[in-house]
Amino acid sequence: MLVELALRNLARTKVRSVLAIVGILIGVMAISSIGIFGESLKAVVLENFKDVANEVIITPDYTHGYTSISERTVKKIESLPYAEMVIPVKSTSSLVEHRGKRTYATIYGMDLEKVKSLFELKSGNYKGCLVGSKIAEFFGIRVGEKISIAGREFRVDGIIREGARFDINPNYAVILPMREFNRLFNVEYSMVIVKVSSMDKIDAFKRAVERVVNRKESKVSVLELKMIVDRLKKVFSKMSLFLMAIAGISLLVAGISILNIMLMSTIERTKEIGIMRAIGAYRETIMMIFLLEALVLGLIGSLIGGALSVLGGYAIDILILKTAKFVFTPSSIFYIVLGVSFGILTALVSAMYPAWKASRLEPIKALRYE
Amino acid sequence: MIELIDVVKKYRIGAYEVTALNGVNLKVDEGEFVIIMGPSGSGKSTLLYLIGCLDKPTSGRVLIDGIDTSKLNDRKLTELRRDKIGFIFQQYHLIPTLTALENVELPMVFKGVSKGKRMRRAEELLELVGLGEKKDRKPKELSGGEQQRVAIARALANEPSILLCDEPTGNLDTKSGKVVMDIIKRLNVEEDVTVVLVTHDPSLKVYGDRVIRIRDGRIVDAG
Ligand SMILES: Nc1ncnc2c1ncn2[C@@H]1O[C@H](COP(=O)(O)OP(=O)(O)OP(=O)(O)O)[C@@H](O)[C@H]1O
Ligand SMILES: [Mg+2]
Repeated sequence: MLVELALRNLARTKVRSVLAIVGILIGVMAISSIGIFGESLKAVVLENFKDVANEVIITPDYTHGYTSISERTVKKIESLPYAEMVIPVKSTSSLVEHRGKRTYATIYGMDLEKVKSLFELKSGNYKGCLVGSKIAEFFGIRVGEKISIAGREFRVDGIIREGARFDINPNYAVILPMREFNRLFNVEYSMVIVKVSSMDKIDAFKRAVERVVNRKESKVSVLELKMIVDRLKKVFSKMSLFLMAIAGISLLVAGISILNIMLMSTIERTKEIGIMRAIGAYRETIMMIFLLEALVLGLIGSLIGGALSVLGGYAIDILILKTAKFVFTPSSIFYIVLGVSFGILTALVSAMYPAWKASRLEPIKALRYE
Repeated sequence: MIELIDVVKKYRIGAYEVTALNGVNLKVDEGEFVIIMGPSGSGKSTLLYLIGCLDKPTSGRVLIDGIDTSKLNDRKLTELRRDKIGFIFQQYHLIPTLTALENVELPMVFKGVSKGKRMRRAEELLELVGLGEKKDRKPKELSGGEQQRVAIARALANEPSILLCDEPTGNLDTKSGKVVMDIIKRLNVEEDVTVVLVTHDPSLKVYGDRVIRIRDGRIVDAG
């Protein structure tokens, strides 16, 4: 019956109740939509790095005077546990020419079989010389044409698809098979890329490097890409939290409007409160009636807002990320539940003071109130 | 039984103090029908509200069935009003959003009576005041006399032993006033409910066992 009473009181001031519901609805929708968008943004960015999350880059420890990695060290690394694939890389800078145009580029020497796992090709195949898309663009070169590297001619067999990596920039790279590279340049390894069997074995692998390679002297340092990915994740989480906090302001405004209309109705219903107290309602009962009213407002507003936030998230994703494939994920449900809970909580918290105030009315004053 | 001992009630309005009751001693026995009369502003309503535990005296004591109400906290006072006292006001004071039936149910809701039980009792009570047909109407859709009869039914919901009426016929024409008074009298006679009734209307004197006259906050004639 108290629920019915609350519902009828809300129906009594329909416009007011609807406005309060709309306020909560907008607040919840803003928070949940932005939460969903933030999560989608993170997912889109991380998708680009999902292959590299179990990679580790081993570089010479420059701080201890090492500028390259020796053949012996590479052999040691290859023997380490959890090293699923070891890709030693040599690199140097050299002049590249094609039909009179010339530029300096970083030339990499790698085992071409293993290059497959690092880069995709836009055209051609993994055979001889591979060039980055920007280099190809600069020369206006196509597969099958020739370029000269440090004075020797190579047939371009593949052009690398545009992309981004932390260790090697594929767009400006020129990659030669290790044997060809060794013919031209006499340098040691500049880095070793290691794919660890799984992400949670990275720490164990790092310990093995310290134990086996760096036992006497610190020859190499280990950079895990997972760390960078984790950092990125954190940055995006913070950003979306910040955006959600801004969205939260709209919920705050909704809360203030509920506080306002509830205060109005305690004044308008002073007499009724007095009557109910006179015929046997406890203070808590009066409080409960007002909180119930707020709960109903909060529930309706939050649930509609939560449902609409799927649309909201979808719209923002399409608009900004151009894809909606991350809208229907478990994390979206989390943000909807979060928004809905905040909506209901806001309504209840805002009603607390008016409800308390109503419950403190002296029955006699309320009855004599005109 | 109702007992008032040296009751003083003062109201404060800013710097002024109004003495509404100035040393009232009164005893009402169980099953008695007492009528309180007196000029406007003499303190009749104040007296009734003190008996009904809606207000506390500035000094003196109010005893209901031997219980000193000044010793009770708000929760206990609420329970006393709910279980022992029924109120009837001049302005009916029904809850406008609730139907007649729901208004009668309300005191039982506060007491925690189950839905089925309280609906049955509310219907019985509305039947008793002759409004069985109109139980689903809102107060707006009822005449003044009908609203007052709903208020009587509501006052009886938790089977109180005391009925406090503040000018129950004040807003009614003679005919509906008589209907209301007859119901109250019947309750007093048949159910042995103690009635304290405030009125300006001398023609109601016939209903009471005793008429108490009050002037300037003092009882001038205890009947
Ligand atoms: N809340 C209040 N604040 C200040 N003064 C009050 C208050 N309530 C009543 N009074 C004063 O107390 C006195 C008694 O009031 P009360 O309402 O008991 O009179 P009454 O006999 O019921 O009058 P009426 O016949 O007009 O209803 C009056 O002078 C009134 O102005
Ligand atoms: Mg009065």
